[in-house]
Amino acid sequence: MTGPDTPLAADTPGPSGGVTSAVVVGAGYAGLTAATALAARGVDVTVLEARDRVGGRAHGLQVSADGWADAGAAYLGDRHTELHALIAELDLKATPTTMDGASRFALGSEASTRDGRFPPLNAVALGDLFERLDDLTATVRPDAPWLTPGAGELDLLTAREWAERHLTHPDARLFFPLFLGEMMAADPARVSMLHVAFYLRSGGGLRYLNAFEGGAQQDRIDGGAHQVCERLAARLGPRVRLGEPVLAVHQDDEGVTVRSARGAYRADVAVMALPPLLADAVDYRPGLPVRRASDRTARGCAVKVHLVYPAPWWRDHGLSGWSVNAEGPLLSTVDDSPAGAGVGVLTGFVTGAEAHRYAALDPREQRSTAVEQATRLFPMLPEPVGFHVTDWVNDPYSKGCYAALFGPGDWLRHGPTLTEPHLRVHWAGTETSTEFFGLLEGAVRSGRRVAAEVLARP
Amino acid sequence: MSVDTTAAAAGRSPAPADTEGVVAMFRRVLEVDEVSADSDFFLLGGDSLVATRVLSAVARTYGVELTFADFLDAPTPKRLAAKIAAAR
Repeated sequence: MTGPDTPLAADTPGPSGGVTSAVVVGAGYAGLTAATALAARGVDVTVLEARDRVGGRAHGLQVSADGWADAGAAYLGDRHTELHALIAELDLKATPTTMDGASRFALGSEASTRDGRFPPLNAVALGDLFERLDDLTATVRPDAPWLTPGAGELDLLTAREWAERHLTHPDARLFFPLFLGEMMAADPARVSMLHVAFYLRSGGGLRYLNAFEGGAQQDRIDGGAHQVCERLAARLGPRVRLGEPVLAVHQDDEGVTVRSARGAYRADVAVMALPPLLADAVDYRPGLPVRRASDRTARGCAVKVHLVYPAPWWRDHGLSGWSVNAEGPLLSTVDDSPAGAGVGVLTGFVTGAEAHRYAALDPREQRSTAVEQATRLFPMLPEPVGFHVTDWVNDPYSKGCYAALFGPGDWLRHGPTLTEPHLRVHWAGTETSTEFFGLLEGAVRSGRRVAAEVLARP
Repeated sequence: MSVDTTAAAAGRSPAPADTEGVVAMFRRVLEVDEVSADSDFFLLGGDSLVATRVLSAVARTYGVELTFADFLDAPTPKRLAAKIAAAR
């Protein structure tokens, strides 16, 4: 006898088709969503996770006795309906991102303070940039970006080449890489312009993706985004196996054998819920007809820096903690103080080409340059009581964050087979979702989609 | 719309500043129909990013470059049209 508190118990109808067992590779949002949906339908599921923790690119960082910050993925908005449903089901709640107060800007000259989030740059020049981006975004086929009119040309163009061609005002040229860094952790020299336009479209448009209140950064998950994965994993129990980096996926007529560093697992199907650069590194037999990534697919370039203070003192000075800076390492900062936990947390984003440079510094230099910059932006701040650097770029089990960046030609090459099963191998992960690509919501939607796909197999 | 096919780019003389023209700009960038001469841009859901798109459209259509501060000071179609007229 099972009650509503044990939703995974097999009191629900058994598998509808022929699939009775599945190995899910990756215990992030996508993999755990998929595994949960499959287990609920009676499929015998094993989740293999390379790390010694679940969560993938969502990772909790403890900043005080009862306060947590997000070392990785953090934000959600009202349009992220699947994620909202999931956190409600898991008894978690959203908490608004705090953006009250004035911003700090260091864009060439001395740092200055301004109301709101608008930088002290030429408004018409930035408006021209946003109009161009919006026009381009409107042309994208959101369900199939490779079929966008002019995709052939646009996908071969890097964002930097596009900017050189179309942006004439120095303020627009200054702002564009900062905007791409903040929005998608992209180095303009490495990302395809079709990918930029698609990403903006997929996330709900320029304005929705950029906005805090009323946009994609409206809320965080109270207590940290990692809790979703911890709670899903707790329900799945021993089905989730940590410390199992998957090396090979071999198929035959009867099933699939997934080989990790520690053992081999046999099942009817495998679900690869990994970022494309990791999925591409696995040995497949028979081999993939189309690779999961190319040598032009770039890692999302994000290093997240958390500076912990006794209290969010910038608020006492009428500041929001938000800053935008032309010089690194912290290209932007935001107030990430956990609600009601006492401490003040300033999160610095090191993105784009700057992320690679900063990641290569020794830890002392990382600390001194970040602290010095934070103090220049917010002179009321003392030495931080806590300092944390999370380098996603060089993380072997993520290979980048926020998400993979499709390079020139990638959409044309990989787009048509993004979700196409390879015999018994199915694909999930935020990078397989054309809706909210690169975001938590995209990961959840990909998990639901792949579970439905597996259950529909004959 | 397209950024390149503007009055300014085509060398035609800019249109006279009119409230209806600004109403149309608000409607386009905000993607809402319920815009009147006295609608406040920010109450309609506009933010600074979208406001710059209006300023870009104003520059293209009327040949007037306004600042972000100008926009904050005149966030309704009627007042913005007056600002455009005064600047010409």
